[in-house]
Amino acid sequence: MFDLIEPALFAILTIGIISAGAGVVLANRITTSALLMAFTFLNVAGMFLLLGAETIAMFQVLIYVGAITVLILYGVMFTPQSPRPYGLFFQTQKFWAALFVVPIAIFVALVAFTFKDSAAVGAKGGDLIPLATSVFRDFAFPFEVASILLLAAMIGAIVLVKRDEE
Amino acid sequence: MAVPLGAFIAVSAVLFFIGTAGVLVRRNAVVILMSVELMLNATNLALVAFSRRYASIDERGSVFVVFIFVVAAAEVAVGLAIILSAYRNKPTVDVDEIRQLRG
Amino acid sequence: MIQNVWLIPAFPLAAFLIDGLLGRRWLHKWTGVIASFAVGLSAVVAIGVFLEVLGGQEHTTVTLYQWIGVGDFHINVAAFVDPLSSVMLLVVTVVSFLIFVYSNGYMEHDHGFHRFFTWLSLFVFAMLILVMADNYLLMFVGWEGVGLCSYLLIGFWFERPEPYVAAKKAFVMNRIGDWGYTIGMITTFLVFGSMQFTDVFEHVTIATQANLTLICLAFFFGATGKSAQLPLYSWLPDAMEGPTPVSALIHAATMVTGGVYLVARSMPLFEAAGPSLAVVGTVGAVTAIFAATIALVQFDIKRVMAYSTVSQLGYMFLALGVGAPVAAIFHLATHAFFKALLFLGSGSVIHGLGGEQDMRKMGGLRRKMPVTFWTMLIAGLALAALPPLAGFWSKDAILASAFVNGHLVLWAVGIVTAVLTAFYVTRALWMTFYGEPRDHHLYDHAHESPAVMTLPLIALGVGTAVLGVVVGFPPEQGFIDTFLHPVFAGEGAGHVPEIATLVTLAAVSVAAGIVGILVGYSMYVRHRPDPAAVSRAAGPLYRLLVNKYFIDELYDRRIVEAFRAAFGAMWAFDVHVIDGLANRLGWLAARSGGALRGAQTGVVGNYALTIVGGLLVILAAYGSYAVGIFPR
Repeated sequence: MFDLIEPALFAILTIGIISAGAGVVLANRITTSALLMAFTFLNVAGMFLLLGAETIAMFQVLIYVGAITVLILYGVMFTPQSPRPYGLFFQTQKFWAALFVVPIAIFVALVAFTFKDSAAVGAKGGDLIPLATSVFRDFAFPFEVASILLLAAMIGAIVLVKRDEE
Repeated sequence: MAVPLGAFIAVSAVLFFIGTAGVLVRRNAVVILMSVELMLNATNLALVAFSRRYASIDERGSVFVVFIFVVAAAEVAVGLAIILSAYRNKPTVDVDEIRQLRG
Repeated sequence: MIQNVWLIPAFPLAAFLIDGLLGRRWLHKWTGVIASFAVGLSAVVAIGVFLEVLGGQEHTTVTLYQWIGVGDFHINVAAFVDPLSSVMLLVVTVVSFLIFVYSNGYMEHDHGFHRFFTWLSLFVFAMLILVMADNYLLMFVGWEGVGLCSYLLIGFWFERPEPYVAAKKAFVMNRIGDWGYTIGMITTFLVFGSMQFTDVFEHVTIATQANLTLICLAFFFGATGKSAQLPLYSWLPDAMEGPTPVSALIHAATMVTGGVYLVARSMPLFEAAGPSLAVVGTVGAVTAIFAATIALVQFDIKRVMAYSTVSQLGYMFLALGVGAPVAAIFHLATHAFFKALLFLGSGSVIHGLGGEQDMRKMGGLRRKMPVTFWTMLIAGLALAALPPLAGFWSKDAILASAFVNGHLVLWAVGIVTAVLTAFYVTRALWMTFYGEPRDHHLYDHAHESPAVMTLPLIALGVGTAVLGVVVGFPPEQGFIDTFLHPVFAGEGAGHVPEIATLVTLAAVSVAAGIVGILVGYSMYVRHRPDPAAVSRAAGPLYRLLVNKYFIDELYDRRIVEAFRAAFGAMWAFDVHVIDGLANRLGWLAARSGGALRGAQTGVVGNYALTIVGGLLVILAAYGSYAVGIFPR
């Protein structure tokens, strides 16, 4: 009985991800899109837990659901749009986009199922120790570079948004 | 019965292409940015799935995911800054209306 | 001093650079002084070299540096100092110096004064290189250099069309001759493995007759271009468009003697190549009489002198052809003096008349320009080969050698030409200096030239008077013969003919000259017969001569027109095919650019779509590998 817990959780999370993702793309109101995006992030965090990557799941919640969602909401807040007719909802190139995307999606999904091995996903033990060891020992230099990248992005964002004071 | 690896990858793929469709189809720049985040999440999912499946051999996929988090956050910040300054120039976030690079 | 022989061309080169770079802004009239001084210094060094060679140095090679060293091909920049080249150096530098001094006066009012001396100095430099070189390639450098300077100086007054047309003509004809020189030079290298004179002349025997004949005829063709013999002579009369000092220096004393020097220097080759010398002698003789006939009827005083130069150069080649190279060089030296004097004197007349060159407007000038008159008289008599002037000794040496070596036809041609020469000289001098002035306005304003011009005239006059006696007496055994003997050792005319033969031949030459003078005197002073009547009676012959046998028109119609057609075709090819190709490529680039511009919609979403499209392609490729449609 307990054996079925994993597939069941997986199914629930999958439905959540896919429908929320579709909702982000198709929703009328931007705020709906933003909140559905946050919900997608949460579901993905659940997937991480299912895989046994607790640290990553924690990061996911902190960074994506916490920071990025808030940023997006700020963006929504500062770019008010007058109400638009529905007809202008999609870009002019929607036809071509669909044409490109759908075949690829189907193809990749099919290919994905070739990974049939049903060996247990979710290795024993957490991922914190290997992760920490890797980041702070083997990849210490990229870690430092990443911090500089964040600094640069922060400065860049500030400079871009600054008003020219007369 | 455990969940096969391919299932995780399939979910990742579908989410990725939902995000791609959002980038190509929606007009609102902020929504496009959200779709990009969806794509990034999809790749994170795939990476972690592979990394955890072959954790005994190589756990470095997860390390890469950490760095993707960093870059994604930076990218959202800068992207929003761009949208905001473009909005200040001409009060629209409609990507179809931004055609100054034409020709 | 021989070791310092490289100073000789160095001074004019320095003068060229200084005058060329600084002359226009800062030096003005000093350019002439600097250039003259430089050539004067060269003359001093040349005298020193000459004395040292006289003292017994047979031949020396003074190498400056190795110029080309590629595989088997080695050329040095080196000077070959032997009696022949030291004589040439002396003649070139001394005559050049006098002409430079003269030019300071003649060109005084010309606004291109500094440019004149710049080119003239460069010319002297190139001529000295030509004379000093120890190999054919270095000589060619000088050969080309004098051709270039000739072009620059003939076209000196390029504001008018005639000078630059004449300059082009001179240069192109020279170039055609240069083609011959080049073939000779290259064949020499292929046959002998070297272009150095000493190497080639020591190994003459290894070449076949055919090779030698080819080399010699090719070199001689080059010489006809440079020394204005048939068929490449017609540039020289046109070259009179240049300033008179240029005519004196380049087209009388130095550049045109380059061809004579080439053949003289290459005598070992010519001697070994059977018929070549006969060709040289015949062409020289024919040219001599041909040019003399044209000179009979010309009215421009400079043109008379020009045709005279062509004729006298013919004499020099005649001498080379009959095995008397010493006589040829001797005549080269004396001719340099008296012909330069004739030209400078003509220049003095032209200067004094304010630019008039037509003898029909002159007359009676001997009272107004005495120095010019007397010096030109000396030169004219020398040209007519009257003893004891220089011209007699050298021309007589040529004719005597021709007779003694059995070339009786050539001797006869030479005698007839001597008669004609004496006649036209008398005619020219009489029309200019004697009789009643035909244009009183010109006559009233005529004046003698300043000292800076008359002193060189006097110096040349003295040279003309004494040079022959000092250097060429007695005939066949004089100083010049013994001096140049080592150079031409082994040449045919080694035997000294008897005194009686020599005296008889000399008498015949002198008689020929006197006959010519008497006929001239009779026709122009006594009007018996009257020149105008003779011209009318001769009718068609006269027209033929006045129009220079219509050679120029012949060349133009036959040769130049053919080239013009070819050039027209090439020009059309250039404009339509080559330019057309370039234009079409440009049009293509513009159109394709315009077409590709359509892809730049400016809508960023389209660009994202393109990226995804690329992803599609990659996945398709990968998928077909995976599925097996495309082999790995």
